[in-house]
Amino acid sequence: MAIVQAILDGILIGGVYAVISIGLTLVYGVMGIINFAHAEFLMIGMFAAYFAWALLGIDPILAAPLAFATAFVLGWLVQRFLIQRVLAAPSVAQIFLTVGLLIVLENGALLLFGSQFRSVNTPYQTMSLSLGPLFVSVPYLAAFVLSLLSGLALWQFMRRSWLGRAMRATAQNRNAALLMGIDADRMYALAFALGVGLTAFGGAIILPYMTASPTVGGQFVILMFTVVVLGGLGNVLGAVVGGLAVGTIQSLSSLAFPIQLQNLVLFVIFILMLALRPEGLVGSRR
Amino acid sequence: MKRALWIGLFAVAAVLPLLLDPRGYWIRVLTLTLLFAAMAQAWNIVGGLANQISLGHAAFFGVGAYASTILLVTYGLTPWIGLVVGAGLAAVAALVIAVPTMRLQGHYFALATLAFGEVMRVVANTWASLTGGPVGISVPFLPPNPLMYSFKTGLPHAYIALGALALVTLLFEGLRRSALGYRLRAIREHEPAAEVIGIDATRVKLIATVISAAAMGALGTVYAQLALFFDPDTIFGVAPISIRVALIAIVGGIGTAVGPILGALLVIPVEELANDVLSGKAPGLSQLVYGVVLIAVILWRPRGLVTFFTARRTAKPRAPGLVPEGQRTTP
Repeated sequence: MAIVQAILDGILIGGVYAVISIGLTLVYGVMGIINFAHAEFLMIGMFAAYFAWALLGIDPILAAPLAFATAFVLGWLVQRFLIQRVLAAPSVAQIFLTVGLLIVLENGALLLFGSQFRSVNTPYQTMSLSLGPLFVSVPYLAAFVLSLLSGLALWQFMRRSWLGRAMRATAQNRNAALLMGIDADRMYALAFALGVGLTAFGGAIILPYMTASPTVGGQFVILMFTVVVLGGLGNVLGAVVGGLAVGTIQSLSSLAFPIQLQNLVLFVIFILMLALRPEGLVGSRR
Repeated sequence: MKRALWIGLFAVAAVLPLLLDPRGYWIRVLTLTLLFAAMAQAWNIVGGLANQISLGHAAFFGVGAYASTILLVTYGLTPWIGLVVGAGLAAVAALVIAVPTMRLQGHYFALATLAFGEVMRVVANTWASLTGGPVGISVPFLPPNPLMYSFKTGLPHAYIALGALALVTLLFEGLRRSALGYRLRAIREHEPAAEVIGIDATRVKLIATVISAAAMGALGTVYAQLALFFDPDTIFGVAPISIRVALIAIVGGIGTAVGPILGALLVIPVEELANDVLSGKAPGLSQLVYGVVLIAVILWRPRGLVTFFTARRTAKPRAPGLVPEGQRTTP
């Protein structure tokens, strides 16, 4: 029964991993840039939701759209003023621009908010539902449901709206999209803003069971990359599969290994995945 | 002309330590600058010649540091021999990681090496009976004796770091001009084309990685004997070692012999100065300034500071608009 419980917890957490990683894979898919600073926007989302709760008394889950909006605006500016300028530069310059951004965001947060860990109090924090012998934690469930909804919303946006189609067209072929009258640079800014916004949204919805601190992003960097590589870099649907897989693996390995070694399991899977199937679990070889 | 410049640079570096207080702060900054320049130069063999962006060079550095320190603590073996053992073990580590990653390119290689460095960090933290675990390991205090790599002041350390930089730079330059260097550059320009003319790309990249890792391992010992204490999170750290070393080479100018030296001259003093002046003011401020400087340099000189000295042959970033087909990197 412990195994079934672990799988259930893993899937609930994995849903959130999927949503926070979709942004990373979206940015790569559209712009071909790996954003090492991506996890910092999770931290920004957590702080946005924390301050909405601490100052205005808004529940972190209701504050999630606010976290999304904050990161969206910030992301748009970052893309327009920094990333856009290195799109034609060598890829090392791109990698290290985002590394510089990571350092600035993390230490900016440290400067503004201090190094203490902050957590919220919500009435449903410790509640759980029982399904026969199994338990479902309410904050995990809430985060999972919201992840599902936001993922579906993105899916609909990308499939049906004009902007979503224009963005996919830009990802497929920038030149052709330009000739069809699509402002490709605007699509890049939109993809980046949407990507980091979604990750910040994920940061807000996990706040009921996580503590916020300026260094929280560091805990998620490798995890996000594992999710994205499992799903295939640039593949949004793959990120969902990757997220669920990573959540389940993490939860199951917690039954067998001490906490430090759980990460080791993740890293080893990550390296094996890169070596054996770099196109991801669901991708096809291009 | 170019040779005269190099000799002049080296002469300045050779005299400079004598002018500084041998137990002071500035000689330490100078030693760290020279050491990190040497590390970035070792990284440059893989990153610059083969254009494989490694974000896991801390793995080799840490193996070297732990090898010599553990041999010294357990068997009283002189770190000079430990240095050679460490370099050998780092080369073995490079072979192990190369098997699954050598075929990977671009972003995939960067991510795989990043994860490999993290694996080494977790292993060092967990395998406490060998490494001392998260509390770290100290180099035991010994009476000053050059044969045991133990000195009274910081002066010999500065010269060892300078010598290391000179050696690694000669190694880089020698490789660059060798047949191996030309093969690496052919692979960098176009790997399939290089293979068509008979270059075994995997084997050539493997040799470069092993050489680079061995140099990095030897430098790990140099660092351990200078710092006298380290723990897994610093020595195998992504930010303090892997990223910083790659960054120095990139800020200076990747693939050139002078790039890592220029990069280290900017990055290490800026960081030390920011720490010295700002760390008392507010937490995070010095690192924030460091990050801002890095972003500014990358935006200003995306191909490195070295372009400041070479003619303006490099094209300006293209104006937004049509991009030639195939320029966008696809996995």
